[in-house]
Amino acid sequence: MTRMRVSENFPRSTASIAGHPIHPMLVPIPIVCFVGTFVTDIAYWATANMQWANFSAWLLSIGLIASVFAGLAGVIDFLGSRSIRRLRPAWIHAVGNVLVLALSIVNVFVHSRDAYTSVVPTGLALSGTVVVLLLVTGWSGADLIHRHRVGVRPGTRA
Amino acid sequence: MSRKRYLLAAAALLPLSACGPDPIDPQTQVGPNPPLPDLHQYLLPPMHVSRSVGWKDGEVPQVAAGLQVKALATGLKGPRSLLVLPNGDVLVAESGGPTPPINRPKEIVMGWLESLSHPAGEAGQRITLLRDTDGDGVAETRTVLLDKQNAPFGMVLVDDALYVANTDAVMRFPYTAGTTQITEPGVKLTELPAGRINHHWTKSLTASPDGTKLYAGVGSNSNITENGIDEEKDRAAIWEIDRATGAHRLYATGLRNPNGLTFEPQTKTLWCVVNERDELGPDLVPDYMTSVKDGGFYGWPYSYWGSHLDPRVMPQRPDLVAQAIMPDYALSSHVAPLGMAFATGTGLPQAYRSGAFVGEHGSWNREPLNGYKVVYVPFENGKPAGKAQDVVTGFLNADKQARGRPVGLAIDGQGALLIADDAGGAVWRVTGSGARSEAQPPAIVR
Repeated sequence: MTRMRVSENFPRSTASIAGHPIHPMLVPIPIVCFVGTFVTDIAYWATANMQWANFSAWLLSIGLIASVFAGLAGVIDFLGSRSIRRLRPAWIHAVGNVLVLALSIVNVFVHSRDAYTSVVPTGLALSGTVVVLLLVTGWSGADLIHRHRVGVRPGTRA
Repeated sequence: MSRKRYLLAAAALLPLSACGPDPIDPQTQVGPNPPLPDLHQYLLPPMHVSRSVGWKDGEVPQVAAGLQVKALATGLKGPRSLLVLPNGDVLVAESGGPTPPINRPKEIVMGWLESLSHPAGEAGQRITLLRDTDGDGVAETRTVLLDKQNAPFGMVLVDDALYVANTDAVMRFPYTAGTTQITEPGVKLTELPAGRINHHWTKSLTASPDGTKLYAGVGSNSNITENGIDEEKDRAAIWEIDRATGAHRLYATGLRNPNGLTFEPQTKTLWCVVNERDELGPDLVPDYMTSVKDGGFYGWPYSYWGSHLDPRVMPQRPDLVAQAIMPDYALSSHVAPLGMAFATGTGLPQAYRSGAFVGEHGSWNREPLNGYKVVYVPFENGKPAGKAQDVVTGFLNADKQARGRPVGLAIDGQGALLIADDAGGAVWRVTGSGARSEAQPPAIVR
């Protein structure tokens, strides 16, 4: 095991607290909420029990609110570092999550309809698409941290 | 003040608010067999309520030619329905509905919106008695006949018993002519569906012409089953209640929110006005008035205006849709009819002596606004015969704010039209504009 050279500069996270990047602390909330929405949408589709559609509406709403804060931290990191912007996964991650946010805004309005068509078919399709997009943006986000060491403090042991 | 103010803040953030189909002239949807556009499910439904501002001193509604209007009483707390007693006293149910639970994020927005459309201050939850001793059309005395009721709405007098339909039960109170206060606790005749949600809470009430049966309107517990079909048990229906035993059966079903229950005087047929479903477009679904057939099913929730399927309901019930009865007469979409009274007596000009008045509380799910007025539908041989005419308007001011909103109607002992105005806190009395009409024996449904 070699000690990293202290002079090596990993892409720095601008939005951070005491060296801890904020963005990765916040993203689990919308990810869990949007995946949960897809799960409860499927449950509603299967049962037509309004309880599941209500779960979906709450999950979507909370996910959207949290994603605004997570997105802000992400945008600050993205704009705050040229070396981040030079990374291809950063662009995939950013564009993909803008799409996630846009589709989820449409989805929360679809879910504000009453009864069956608040979920089937449009809401369910949107929730599913968002989960697929999250797989892509999650993968590229992991690339940024685990391969390109975005936000990793220089001088730490690898 | 622009109506933008009443748009959801969210609407400003989003180009999504482009609202779908252009509204048609509401007048084309008045009468039997209204044209029904294709249904449109919004991303963001139009939410336009008129802010409640009340009547300034000296302001009154506008009436059609040949009529005049005067306040029988003002300063009431949410007057919603009326009953004229044989001695000429007028009962006013002052009431407000329950605060609904928040089951979805949407209901936070809807609750805020609704709070704009209702005046500040608690509703009365009581029955107030108005007495116009000198016959000048203004009540000199006002007493609380019954206090601490639970969202009272329907009232009917049969012999010496006054029945009050609270939101959770039909109550019976002893009544003697001339009384101004009832202190007896009353007897619960029949429990009515209420519960935690109680979405449509007004329970309209009338009695059969022979007085043996009561009829109570029980509105649905949702717009379109979004609270679950289990919440709709025995709702969206008219209950027939045996006056002697309190036993009930469902007289008619599929009526989303039936109000203004009244027997047509000529044919002795039960009629009502019905608030139909929202969020399918500015011109769906027309609210209506209809005669009510024993055992009839009128569509809600599965279909509207006969067998037009509503895709929002799951599971569907094609068997019921096939039986759905088409209502008699459309009043146009989202006008929210909440009161109806058949003309009797000679207090109004000849043009208004054979037909039904309908109180239209006014729309929220449509732009431009619709309703906010009292109309007259002429009848012949117990059936609507002709176009509804505006009788009392001017509930909205020039800025489309609500000075008042009509709810329940009644015809008083002189044949004048009485209008309960919940947002305006008033009871209006409409008479012919000529000399004071000769006194008539009171006409109430017995």
